[in-house]
Amino acid sequence: MARVEFRNVRKEFHDQQKGTFTAVEGSDFVINDKEFVVFVGPSGCGKTTSLRMIAGLEHQSSGDIIIGDRVVNNLHPKDRDIAMVFQDYALYPHMTIRENLSFGLRNLKKPKAYIEQKVQEAASILDLESMLERKPRELSGGQRQRVAVGRAIVRDPQVFLFDEPLSNLDAKLRIQMRVELAELHKRLGATIVYVTHDQVEAMTLGERIVVMNKGAIQQIASPTELYAKPRNMFVAGFIGSPAMNFMDAELDGNRVLVNGTVLELPESMLSSSLADYDKKKVILGIRPEDIYGEDFVQNVKVEGKMTTSVQVVEHLGSENLVYFQVGERSVTAKVHPETKAYVGLEKTFILDLGKVHFFDPETEMRISD
Amino acid sequence: MHSKSKIIMVTVASVILGLWAIVTIIPLYWMIIGSVQDTTLSATYKPQMIPSIWSVAPFERFFSKTSAWRWLFNSVFISAVLTATNVFFGSLAGYAFAKLKFPGSKTVFWVLLSTMMIPAQVTLIPLYVLIINVFNLGDTYTAIILPGAVSVGNIFLMKQYMSSLPTSLIHAARIDACSEFGIFWKVILPLAKPGLAVLAIFTFVTSWNDFFWPFLITSSDEMRTIQVGLASFVFAESTDYGAIMAGATVGALPMMILFFSLQRYFLQGITIGAVKG
Ligand SMILES: Nc1ncnc2c1ncn2[C@@H]1O[C@H](COP(=O)(O)OP(=O)(O)O)[C@@H](O)[C@H]1O
Ligand SMILES: [Mg+2]
Repeated sequence: MARVEFRNVRKEFHDQQKGTFTAVEGSDFVINDKEFVVFVGPSGCGKTTSLRMIAGLEHQSSGDIIIGDRVVNNLHPKDRDIAMVFQDYALYPHMTIRENLSFGLRNLKKPKAYIEQKVQEAASILDLESMLERKPRELSGGQRQRVAVGRAIVRDPQVFLFDEPLSNLDAKLRIQMRVELAELHKRLGATIVYVTHDQVEAMTLGERIVVMNKGAIQQIASPTELYAKPRNMFVAGFIGSPAMNFMDAELDGNRVLVNGTVLELPESMLSSSLADYDKKKVILGIRPEDIYGEDFVQNVKVEGKMTTSVQVVEHLGSENLVYFQVGERSVTAKVHPETKAYVGLEKTFILDLGKVHFFDPETEMRISD
Repeated sequence: MHSKSKIIMVTVASVILGLWAIVTIIPLYWMIIGSVQDTTLSATYKPQMIPSIWSVAPFERFFSKTSAWRWLFNSVFISAVLTATNVFFGSLAGYAFAKLKFPGSKTVFWVLLSTMMIPAQVTLIPLYVLIINVFNLGDTYTAIILPGAVSVGNIFLMKQYMSSLPTSLIHAARIDACSEFGIFWKVILPLAKPGLAVLAIFTFVTSWNDFFWPFLITSSDEMRTIQVGLASFVFAESTDYGAIMAGATVGALPMMILFFSLQRYFLQGITIGAVKG
């Protein structure tokens, strides 16, 4: 019974120099029991602030926060049945690993035998048994990270809060820990709220993802849905790498005009909401992986042809990134490495028209399909 | 070229520092040397740079003619209490200013800090009137200790030190069900130990060497600190050169021993505020 809910939660900071600053505005969401939800967004978008409000380290300016079936607005962090893993791990430097792990339980005046058992359990799950008598500074980054997780585990909380726990690790260790965290979630069967600025981390870990920008929630959806149906241009550009391409376009019946090129949309793309934009300007979005070189097309049902000159080619081994210009905007295609491309080549690209997205140029919202 | 100019620089610096060291050390040397040769033995004997007649008689005379033991006790007692109060209040206030949010914290801090710009001499008379006439505390330990119970400088030092401790530790402890005082006691204080050590040593030395305030506020012989007592002894026995030097040595030596055994902390104390602006 540990759902987490925000009801119109708002957080303002009052700064003497900058005045009033809204870090989180009108936030509404429900995180279900045992769900792994990731908050993702660029730096400064209010992820940490949201997490700290769940923890009770920061008090919301207005709105309600519910954990389980209790409104926790006025509850102290220790009474919220949560545990948090901090970005810098926040291990107590003067305590041994054992003391770090048991600090919370000792403060809660749990029986000695119980504390001992909990510490042993966590240490064995996280492979820390041989390090219990060491101080944090004697541990590697990855080990410290595990201690930080361990300190949360021993508490048996209803909700785990993670604030960018992997951002201080090197790339290899990060991937390894990602796998371990996913396994840990299955094993613990607890609700996890996880904050990161890394969209890859979000996509691989999250059962559902909350995309934030400038203090406002942009979309809450599963990774697949975020990728397939981004609600607005921000989400479309933020999720996926390289980012989605945008082109200025104009609709005309079932045809769309892009920089002088006419593309015929497939039946499946036409919807009543798109019909409202007939003869109007729209933004066409297409992911780099949905653009092919003419000489290497795979599984495209409805092709749109666009001929232009290649500006830059990046060889990544398993694929090539080819850059070209459409109107004022630069477009990236992620193509098969055997696709012929060099700078200056006049090349015909194939757009998978079954996978394009349309956005309103004014509101930047998706024109639904 | 480069290394040559560097050698010249180092040489010049060494010579200047060496001369400075000599100038600083000579009076101290003279004081100690003057206390171990007895000029009263014969009228012709003058103190010498390298004494030919060694004697502890000046010390004997100093201790027998004065309440030196009482003065020493007073100095130790007062310095110890002042050290304890400064460490306690300084770290508490420093922590509050560095890490706790409370209305007006910035304003209060700046008001406190601005008092550092007022020279001590300006507040001396009002303070004297306050202690003597308003509180009627003249000639008591309380009178000597109370005004220095915590100094703004020490609060500032502690604030600087504690600002450098990560706030996430406080948050982690709060989630770990630690009480607010527990956070201070179990997490912050252990981490602030090096800073506290510096504060304690500096406070002890300053209190030990303080002259003017104890001199002003005490009137009876048995309330004097060693520095004040020494001054009164100098006035009274201006001819007993050896005994005066012995007294001065007694007053200075504990601090010299303290300095040389805890040098590391003194050096830290100079750089401690420079860690973070
Ligand atoms: N204690 C604070 N006082 C003032 N502004 C703050 C405070 N904490 C965060 N902010 C501001 O709120 C915004 C969101 O911060 P945060 O939630 O930490 O972002 P992130 O998504 O990177 O975790 C930032 O612009 C930050 O500067
Ligand atoms: Mg953050």
